[in-house]
Amino acid sequence: MIQVHGLTKHYADLKRGKLVALDGVSFQAGPGEIYGLLGPNGAGKTTALRILSTVLRPTAGTAKISGLDVVTQPSLVRHRIGFVSANTAVYDRMTAWEMVEYFGRLHGIPDRQLADRMEQVFTRLQMNDIRDLLGTKMSTGMRQKVSIARAIVHDPPVLIFDEATAGLDVLVARALLRTVAELRDHGKCILFSTHIMREAEKLCDRVAIVHRGKILAEGCLEQLRDEHHEHDLEELFFQLISRHDEAHPGEAVAHGSDVL
Amino acid sequence: MNWYNVKLILFREVRDQLRDRRTLFMIAVLPILLYPLLGMSFFQIAQFVRDEPTKVLVIGAPRAEGLPPLVEGTRFAQKIFHDTKLLIVDAADDKPAQGGPAPTDAARSAAARRAVQSGRYDAALWFPTNFVSRLDAFRATIRRRAASMGETARPERRSPAGSALPAVAPVPEVPSPELVYNTASDKSQIAYARLSEALRHWTGAVGRTNLEAGGLPLFAAEPFELATADVADSARGRGLAVWAKLLPVLLLIWALTGAFYPAIDLCAGEKERGTLETLLCSPAERSEIVVGKLLTIILFSMITAVMNLVSVAMTGGMLLGKLPGFGPPPLSAAIWLPLALLPVSALFGALSLALAAFARSTKEGQYYLMPLLLITMPLAVLSTTPGMELTLGNSLIPVTGVVLLLRCLLEGNYWPAVQYAAPVIAVTLGGCLLAIRWAVDQFNSESVLFRESERLDFGLWVRHLLRDREATPTVAGAIFCAVVILLVRFFMGSALPIPENFRGFALLTLVTQLVVVLTPALLMTIMLTNSPRQTLLWRMPPWKTVPAALALAVAIHPVANWLQGVVNHLYPLGDEVKSVLDKFFHESPSLWQLVLLVGIMPAICEELAFRGFVLSGFRHVGHKWRAIVYSALFFGMTHTIFQQSLIASLLGVVLGLLAVQTGSLLPCVIFHMLHNSLAVVASRVVPQLTGYCPPLKRLVVMGSDGDYAYHWPVVLVGAVLTGLILWWFNRLPYPKSPEERLQDAIDRGGAA
Repeated sequence: MIQVHGLTKHYADLKRGKLVALDGVSFQAGPGEIYGLLGPNGAGKTTALRILSTVLRPTAGTAKISGLDVVTQPSLVRHRIGFVSANTAVYDRMTAWEMVEYFGRLHGIPDRQLADRMEQVFTRLQMNDIRDLLGTKMSTGMRQKVSIARAIVHDPPVLIFDEATAGLDVLVARALLRTVAELRDHGKCILFSTHIMREAEKLCDRVAIVHRGKILAEGCLEQLRDEHHEHDLEELFFQLISRHDEAHPGEAVAHGSDVL
Repeated sequence: MNWYNVKLILFREVRDQLRDRRTLFMIAVLPILLYPLLGMSFFQIAQFVRDEPTKVLVIGAPRAEGLPPLVEGTRFAQKIFHDTKLLIVDAADDKPAQGGPAPTDAARSAAARRAVQSGRYDAALWFPTNFVSRLDAFRATIRRRAASMGETARPERRSPAGSALPAVAPVPEVPSPELVYNTASDKSQIAYARLSEALRHWTGAVGRTNLEAGGLPLFAAEPFELATADVADSARGRGLAVWAKLLPVLLLIWALTGAFYPAIDLCAGEKERGTLETLLCSPAERSEIVVGKLLTIILFSMITAVMNLVSVAMTGGMLLGKLPGFGPPPLSAAIWLPLALLPVSALFGALSLALAAFARSTKEGQYYLMPLLLITMPLAVLSTTPGMELTLGNSLIPVTGVVLLLRCLLEGNYWPAVQYAAPVIAVTLGGCLLAIRWAVDQFNSESVLFRESERLDFGLWVRHLLRDREATPTVAGAIFCAVVILLVRFFMGSALPIPENFRGFALLTLVTQLVVVLTPALLMTIMLTNSPRQTLLWRMPPWKTVPAALALAVAIHPVANWLQGVVNHLYPLGDEVKSVLDKFFHESPSLWQLVLLVGIMPAICEELAFRGFVLSGFRHVGHKWRAIVYSALFFGMTHTIFQQSLIASLLGVVLGLLAVQTGSLLPCVIFHMLHNSLAVVASRVVPQLTGYCPPLKRLVVMGSDGDYAYHWPVVLVGAVLTGLILWWFNRLPYPKSPEERLQDAIDRGGAA
């Protein structure tokens, strides 16, 4: 479903010159699986997910979604993904229904089919009471629901969530995680980035711990715990990162941590 | 491009804009309220100014038997100023008290000046102390003269020395009353105008009494009246001229304003609100997003302009129509303005979109409006300067051409409009396409879409340029180099005098080529790239391309000659330019010097700069032909004579193709050298050769002034050969830039 190989992204920075946001990242994720990208702020998660959603182009490496290349077949890739991130807001001057309908149409879903699908999605996400509410009047939780509805309206095989619970209260965040788990159960391949250990523990089938543009460790949670002899995920995460920083003290400058 | 998606985006953006109160205010409420309000207040102010009385001081108003009255109470006499309530008069009586000093002229003058300077009076009028007595003496003299010279004598104000009538007593001079006013005050100017009118009437009345005193008929002073005739078609014609100047400028201002604010909201605003990324990861292509947004902007620009124009026309028709010499706007405006609106809105829409895409926030976007206005408005207002008419030169100035064309159409001057419509439309459409391309490029550039705020530091930026060099220059580097060459050339051209002899011409050419063209390109190559070899295409081409380039130069020679003839016919060279050029080409000491100067030097310098540095930079745009055309346009622009620029741009395309296909500068230099040399040598040799070898006359047509042209079969053969050789070049496999390879991969991926 998702195949990422040697993904690298450089940025030019006036002061520091070349910044390495991603440094040869490779991973794979299959259908019915939630793959977690776990890393501190500025680890390169958003850059990786933006490349997968075809908004950014990699400097090197390849990324394929359902066998389609994100660089050379961006349009086809976008038809097969749903992307929800803190940076993908909802329109202020559109109602929930209009917004989801708009993206459904952009995906080329025929009108009748779209109406059925939207009824389904609105019911499933319990959004029927905000159908005619303008974006500007919605709470953060409502907006996030609309974003998810917008991302799944075309029933894509791959879903990408980038820090999707950021800014949500506990209730809404829990509901969102439940929705993600349900989507996995429907056979979707889900890429879920977060810096919150609890979410990763609860949700992810496999995780990659990302730091300074590199994957430090990868595997299912049990496997990671066994390998590093550390039961607490947060502790494990912290150890990996400190060890890496001690081994590569010069990297902090080359990596655009505080830029991204 | 999927037009269904474009339509979806267009409809959404339009609905979004209509739900925005600011937009509605801008396009509907403002024009409906603005002009009627402006018109009303204008009229009220005018009315106020007309009805406001002004206060004047009159010192020593003459009162005497036989003099028409000037002041009656606090008003001027009804006979000399009809609307007496507009001038409130304070007649200062400075008659001395018993035994006091008599008033002097100096005191009166000072009092009058004080009165106006202090602002107590809007104007003051003082009469000299001896005014009445001298006037009486004057009249007495006239009366005496009339009596002594009989009925036919003419009263003379003075008897000049050597006059034929020495016996007549001199007429005494009457001292002038003085009107004191202050041009720095508007009210004082109004008082001045009213006071001078009153005085003119009074002086006339005094004159008439003088005539009576001299026994002359009243019409002797005014034996005839000046009649005037205005050939403008009465009131309508004059109104038309004003409308024809006003409406096109208003159209431009509102088309730009109407385009800019939605553009900021649709791009910078979406970036700010975070919805742009939502749209970018939807299936819509970048080009669909740009076109959808652009159409929205064009639509709102047009609606804003139309609403404003309709409101202006209605207000103007109702209020100004009542003025004498004015009429409602011409009906033809309803046809021509909407017709011109589409390209104008498209041009401004695309420019605004590109600028707005660059802005990070709406606030930043609004800063970009000013430069755009500062460039556009002078171009629009330029057309209203007196004497500015639609000519070829003016029609090629972007915005000005459109305004002038519209003015011609509104005035009903259809012939110049038909004549120059083509260049105006071509320039506007060209500008439009470039602006749209720019907007699409902005949307494809992730550094623009995800621009982080950087601190502004020139030192850091220079260090970044020097440190993070690539093998070849960036697109910005290429544009920078070309603009530096253009600017230096322009300033040098205006600073240096036109050379007077061949030596001067040679020196100027040398300096231009070596200093202006070559030096910036070489310096930038060394400083901004880390592979001068790759940038300047320093490698051997496939051997076959060298003879092919030579053959191409020979084949293209008659075609270029013919094209130059066509261009010169359409846009004749000024006599001055022509004579200077002819002088240098025909008076050079020897042919080889001319070949060295015009053929070989430019071939090396210009190729290194334009096919070397500039084209290498443009190759990063990701499309071979676009890179070639951009570099060719800049190459054309550096040729300061317009007629040369056109041909140079076309040759730039040929040279660019050679550079790209062979990956080497050598074929370009060879072609350029031979092409220029052939042109120089032929202009000298062909006329002589036809003398020696008469059969040549079948190939060449000699013009009257030493020009020559090739017969059409020669041109045709040249054109066919040129086409074939270029086709061969275009088929060669060529080294692609990384961006071109990526674009190919995307094209293949999309097709699959």
